[in-house]
Amino acid sequence: MAPRRIDPSTLPKESALAQRLLARGEPTARVTISHDGETMEGVDGEPLALTLLAAGRTTLARSSKYHRPRSAACLQGGCDGCLVRVNGVPDVMACRTSTRQGLTVVSQNAFPSVSMDLGAASDWFFPRYMDHHHWMVSLGPAFNRTMQSFARRMSGLGTLPDEASPVLPAQRETVDVLVVGAGPSGVAASNALVSAGFDVLCVDEESRVGGSTLDDPGAVSMESLDARVRHRPSASVVATYDDGTIVQTANGVTVVTTRARLFATGCRDLIGAFVQNDLPGIYTVRAFGRALCAGVLLGQRVVLVGDDPIAGSICDAARAAGATVVHTRGARVREARGSRSVKGVIVESPGGDSVTHGCDALVVTGEVAAYELVGQAGAALHWDATRDTFAPVVNADGTTGTQGVYVTGKLRATMTDPAARAEDGRRVATRIARDLGRTKGEQ
Amino acid sequence: MNKELFCRCEDVTRGEIEAAFAAGHKDIESLKRYTGLGTGWCQGKQCVTLCARFITARTGEPPPLPITPRPPLHPIPMGALAGIATPGDDR
Repeated sequence: MAPRRIDPSTLPKESALAQRLLARGEPTARVTISHDGETMEGVDGEPLALTLLAAGRTTLARSSKYHRPRSAACLQGGCDGCLVRVNGVPDVMACRTSTRQGLTVVSQNAFPSVSMDLGAASDWFFPRYMDHHHWMVSLGPAFNRTMQSFARRMSGLGTLPDEASPVLPAQRETVDVLVVGAGPSGVAASNALVSAGFDVLCVDEESRVGGSTLDDPGAVSMESLDARVRHRPSASVVATYDDGTIVQTANGVTVVTTRARLFATGCRDLIGAFVQNDLPGIYTVRAFGRALCAGVLLGQRVVLVGDDPIAGSICDAARAAGATVVHTRGARVREARGSRSVKGVIVESPGGDSVTHGCDALVVTGEVAAYELVGQAGAALHWDATRDTFAPVVNADGTTGTQGVYVTGKLRATMTDPAARAEDGRRVATRIARDLGRTKGEQ
Repeated sequence: MNKELFCRCEDVTRGEIEAAFAAGHKDIESLKRYTGLGTGWCQGKQCVTLCARFITARTGEPPPLPITPRPPLHPIPMGALAGIATPGDDR
């Protein structure tokens, strides 16, 4: 069965999910959008990817080379699964775009349609892989030119926008401290710094504060952001340099000049390496949780594989919403089954035994540090063997080897409890306040 | 087909990584340049970790560094970037 919307009134009243959904109040306005010419209903302001999934659109895109079916998988702007053309603009991440009345959504890179794409023949012709890099150069420049032209038609991402993107004059802003991320650690640090008298700008990709707690139906509500903090929600830090950080919103970019930058970007969920790991219907645990918290159940027969602090809470919520859930702890996915969307999974236990489960949603676990921005800022990176991820090299007080660059929260170390992340944010804020105060005093 | 994707954006499979590794590309940077891994839409947010785990499993040693994280974190419209330049600024 396809994903469906949850009616909060049918949930067990004592369930965390019911309380979460009912706390949101009455469902907000219904709006109508079109996808590949068909109209469908959505909820105003929800992620466009959820509107499409809830309307039964499981294949949202096709991959660049093999034209394999793709769908939203991470719902946090970290994969290629939900790229669509919206109102004439190509390559829009549907998970990062809000549903609004009248949006025209069109699939890309597929002929004749995204659900039935002839380009997928390349997936069959090349069962292991297609070494197009060598082909293109091995038979001489003339053949190379032909192949380049062919490849441009067959692959790539979308086509040019209907209109050239307007040049939006950049804004300029100066603050003492830029905090990137509004999860528990970023919010706690922002509040502590603004209380200490510093100008603080807190930038976050979500529309509300909460970070990854927004994806956990069982999360207790966390502290709110101090009104004195300049909050920039639904904004991305896309680049950070010593002399300025570029923050992107729907209205263009702002170049922010800072005395200190605190990275509280946390972790992102990873889809591990297993056979058919790109099938539609495979979600990260926080993507599945995010959908639940938005009132969408992404599968009726759910298999959740592995261990994660919020896995139990996700299982409880999915069951409360009426799904059957199999949770296999301490196991790993060996293979996903299905052709257009996931129909089953082979799970391997640590002992090597394999079990096959039928499912229409496969939920996978595994967090990696979101180290890219702090790496851009110049912090040293290393392989953190205890967490099985690349991560910044950070001291216990949040300092890095680079002056004015700090790290807190899950990006720094494993901290499963949001309260511990908030505590870490306050501790690093103390260090920043000391460093900035001293600099101020010397001036 | 039963492909195992290391890099979803550029459709780089385990088979392709294994062939590149066998051809002597045994570090992330070389694997990236040979296969295109990490050069797509998401700029390596998934595949770099998978590639590091693959190298660790093959060699017993984790790679010291990921591919260099460079701007932008997400693709952004040229119009937004163009708005940063001030008139007469030709840097």
